[in-house]
Amino acid sequence: MNSNEEIPQGHDERRTFLKILLSGGLIALGGSILYPILAYLKPPKQGEVEVTSVKAGKLSELEKDSGKIVKFGTKPVILIRTANNELRAFSATCTHLECTVQYKKDLGLIWCACHNGKYDLNGRNVSGPPPRPLDEYRVVVQGEEVLISKKV
Amino acid sequence: MNERVELDDLVDFMGKKYVPQHSHSVWYYFGGVSLFLFIIQVVTGILLLLYYKSGEDLSFESIQFIMSKVQFGWLIRSIHSWTANLFILSAMVHMFSVYFGKAYRKPREVTWLTGMLMFFLALAFGFSGYLLPWNELAFFATKVGTDIAGVVPFIGKPIMQLLRSGEDVTGATLSRFFGFHVAVFPGIFTVLLGIHLLLVQRQGMSEPLGAGDDVKSDQKRMPFFPNFMLRDLLLWLIVLNLIAILAVFFPWELGKKADAFAPAPAGIKPEWYFLFMFQTLKYIPGKLWIFDGEVFGIMLFGLAGLLWMLIPFWDRKSSRGEQTRFINYIGLFVIMYIMIFTIIGWLA
Amino acid sequence: MKKYILYTLSVVVIFAQQVFASGGDQCFTCHDGLGDKESSGYKHDIHFIKGISCAGCHGGNSNSEDMEKAMDKNGGYNGVPKGDDISKTCAGCHADSARMKSFGSSLPTNQWEMLQTSVHARLSTNGQEHIVQCITCHGVHGIVSVKDPASPVYPLNIVKTCTKCHSDAAFMRNYNPSLPVDQEAKYRTSVHGQLNAKGDPKPAACASCHGSHDIRSAKDAKSRIYPVNLPSTCSNCHSNAAYMKAYNIPTDQYAKFSRSVHGIDLLEKHDASAPACNSCHGNHGAAPPGVESVSKVCGTCHALNADLFSGSPHKKAFDDKKLPECETCHGNHEIAAATKALLGTSKDAVCSRCHDQQTNPKGYEVAGVMRALTDSLESQEDLATVLLGKAEQKGMEVSESRFKLRDVHQARLQSRTMVHAFDEAKFREVVDKGLKTSAGVVEEGQHAINEYYFRRWGLGISTIIITMVAVALYFTIKGIERKQRNALKSNIIKK
Repeated sequence: MNSNEEIPQGHDERRTFLKILLSGGLIALGGSILYPILAYLKPPKQGEVEVTSVKAGKLSELEKDSGKIVKFGTKPVILIRTANNELRAFSATCTHLECTVQYKKDLGLIWCACHNGKYDLNGRNVSGPPPRPLDEYRVVVQGEEVLISKKV
Repeated sequence: MNERVELDDLVDFMGKKYVPQHSHSVWYYFGGVSLFLFIIQVVTGILLLLYYKSGEDLSFESIQFIMSKVQFGWLIRSIHSWTANLFILSAMVHMFSVYFGKAYRKPREVTWLTGMLMFFLALAFGFSGYLLPWNELAFFATKVGTDIAGVVPFIGKPIMQLLRSGEDVTGATLSRFFGFHVAVFPGIFTVLLGIHLLLVQRQGMSEPLGAGDDVKSDQKRMPFFPNFMLRDLLLWLIVLNLIAILAVFFPWELGKKADAFAPAPAGIKPEWYFLFMFQTLKYIPGKLWIFDGEVFGIMLFGLAGLLWMLIPFWDRKSSRGEQTRFINYIGLFVIMYIMIFTIIGWLA
Repeated sequence: MKKYILYTLSVVVIFAQQVFASGGDQCFTCHDGLGDKESSGYKHDIHFIKGISCAGCHGGNSNSEDMEKAMDKNGGYNGVPKGDDISKTCAGCHADSARMKSFGSSLPTNQWEMLQTSVHARLSTNGQEHIVQCITCHGVHGIVSVKDPASPVYPLNIVKTCTKCHSDAAFMRNYNPSLPVDQEAKYRTSVHGQLNAKGDPKPAACASCHGSHDIRSAKDAKSRIYPVNLPSTCSNCHSNAAYMKAYNIPTDQYAKFSRSVHGIDLLEKHDASAPACNSCHGNHGAAPPGVESVSKVCGTCHALNADLFSGSPHKKAFDDKKLPECETCHGNHEIAAATKALLGTSKDAVCSRCHDQQTNPKGYEVAGVMRALTDSLESQEDLATVLLGKAEQKGMEVSESRFKLRDVHQARLQSRTMVHAFDEAKFREVVDKGLKTSAGVVEEGQHAINEYYFRRWGLGISTIIITMVAVALYFTIKGIERKQRNALKSNIIKK
């Protein structure tokens, strides 16, 4: 009985050390699991994923005889609602030196501000340095939403 | 606490749980590991749900968002994708260890059945979850997978339409798979898991045939609390570390967004857990007697799965405590077959 | 009696001479005797000099004095050939090299073949024949060598020949209403036209550029005046130092042009929208329509730059000094790609030709500032690109930042145009926008790279913690199990 009661000093210290290691470690582990989860839950600066590639907004929000740039994945696309109420979409990357084009209401044409390149409403390069027309995209209206997709 | 809930009986019961110790004890851990992995999936899945948006034009981008804009989003997503694969692997190991240990024998038939159903659900979880990023690989994998389902005679077509929510794989398919993945499957799985765990608690651990009948001997068993539980925890910690390393050094890819009009990328193949079936179908000739080759292959796998699931009922000898060599050979054959065809499929 | 015999003999001799001299051309003899215009013209015709009778083209028997026999259809007489038969008659000899050699001629023999490919070979309004026959341009009974000043296609005469149709608006309307009919008027304003009017056959006239038999539309890729081919057409004369000796102008324009941006685009890349010689120098006139002089022509394509220049302080300064606008800095034929090397205060910068610290300090300062801003924007864009590349290589997601980088690239391009306003404030505005965006991209790129390292550090720390806990747990388990074994032993001992 006595031999069992005698717990050497070394063992005692070791057990305490182990206890500290274990509890300390568990707390650290808990922290290292909890911290990422809490950080994850914190809303990121950009509130939510942006309206993108395919949905280009509501038709009612796009005026007649106007255009707007929409992000299609990583590329810009220009969506135009003509004065005759037709919808057209083209790649907004100018075929000259890759600036982003815009719709010019006074010209009724697509215009590139860098070197005065002009494209007609069929995407064809009609004036200035652009050597090729703009790639066309498909536009479809689903209910209220305008959807842009790649031309087949 | 004790006065209100009266835990004494439960604590008493739990204190009497023992885990047998023998040369094959190590396999006992895999049920727990599978459970741990499932819990990880639920936790990371719920976290992902807070940022994921379902829909043709948002799914891909929302995952991109999670990977790049949400703090530790990359970690949660990679953990979820890696753990899905590890979960299925662990479940397979658990299943085969139960098979060879004949733990399915009486009185544990229902445990085996619920386990098998959970395994099939795990595969369904994998298949439905894979589509959710709406990337190129997933889109075509789903197309091919549901096409195969549609080949089953008579009921195949309506099943395919039900799965796809239409004739083709579209945004509607995505919505449906999302619903399956986060609501339907978890619900069913939880029920099955509950039954499974309850039965294990009530019936205790099965011992492999011929591994020793002397359960009474104290040296041949260890108490569940605290011994086995702490060992379980240790293993779970190591698994957790492994997952973290995988997530950091092998982050899960996103690829290109799905484009219904683009041609399928060359060399497309399903995830590894479907690969052996996929590869088998490739080897079956186009026409076998009067049957279409593909249909034959699918029916064969269906039959094999059914037989496997019903093994407690036709391996009568095991309930008497007798080994059947033949059963073991079948098991070995299945393992070899799966491994070989998975490797072939991977290398092709 | 002697006189009578001498007289008869001389008549006979003269008559015989006539007979032998004309190779027995009774047709000519008779018709000339009739005094008709054709034979009086034919007297000077080179074919007559070479001994070809009227029957050479008209067929029939030139030896026969009898009109019926000479002009017998069954004897091969063709009458006056009409329509394409005319040219086919000419081609009968002129396309036959053996025949041509037999007359001692080294003329080419592919004219008819070439004419078939030309725009003139189209059907005329009656639908039966080509618009043009050989005789349309060369004349019919007085044909002389093209080198002979009497030829209608001799440089000093060719304008009149071509404009017979090409200045006739009513006639041209039948064939191509969109073709102008004022080429001659324009031509006469040009150096070529003025020298030509003064009697110099060397400068270019119609056929020099358009060709003679194989005249194709300017839109035809095989035409000599198709933009891609035009510079070499012009350089046929203008690069020939010997030919151009009397005119005292350089002959290196083609060489220079082929090294320029425009030249490479046109001649190597076959971009037909790039300027050829006529784009700046005009086609027939001295300068393109609506342009004051060739020094002001650049703005027709480079409109933005020209607009900015017109509003800039350089416009008045250049006009006062009578300096051409664009050419002063960019050159005329050997225009190289405009890089930032042109800008600034260093020795090879174009600005330093006029601006230095002592004489025009204001301009010197602005030039220096614009160059410095350009450099900083370029280096920022480069830095941003490098950082994004590094981040991508590490597997980090930076596609949105890449998208923003396009705006920086755009700002750089726009700043190059804005240089032409020579206004520090306006320039700064464009560049600042670019600098702001690129600073953002640099930050995002750096953040992505930092995130990569953060993840690995985080993993390291987590691994250490987990290992710590695992080790502690292991020893705890061992401790518990030892205690249990001891308790068991002591229980057994107790028993």
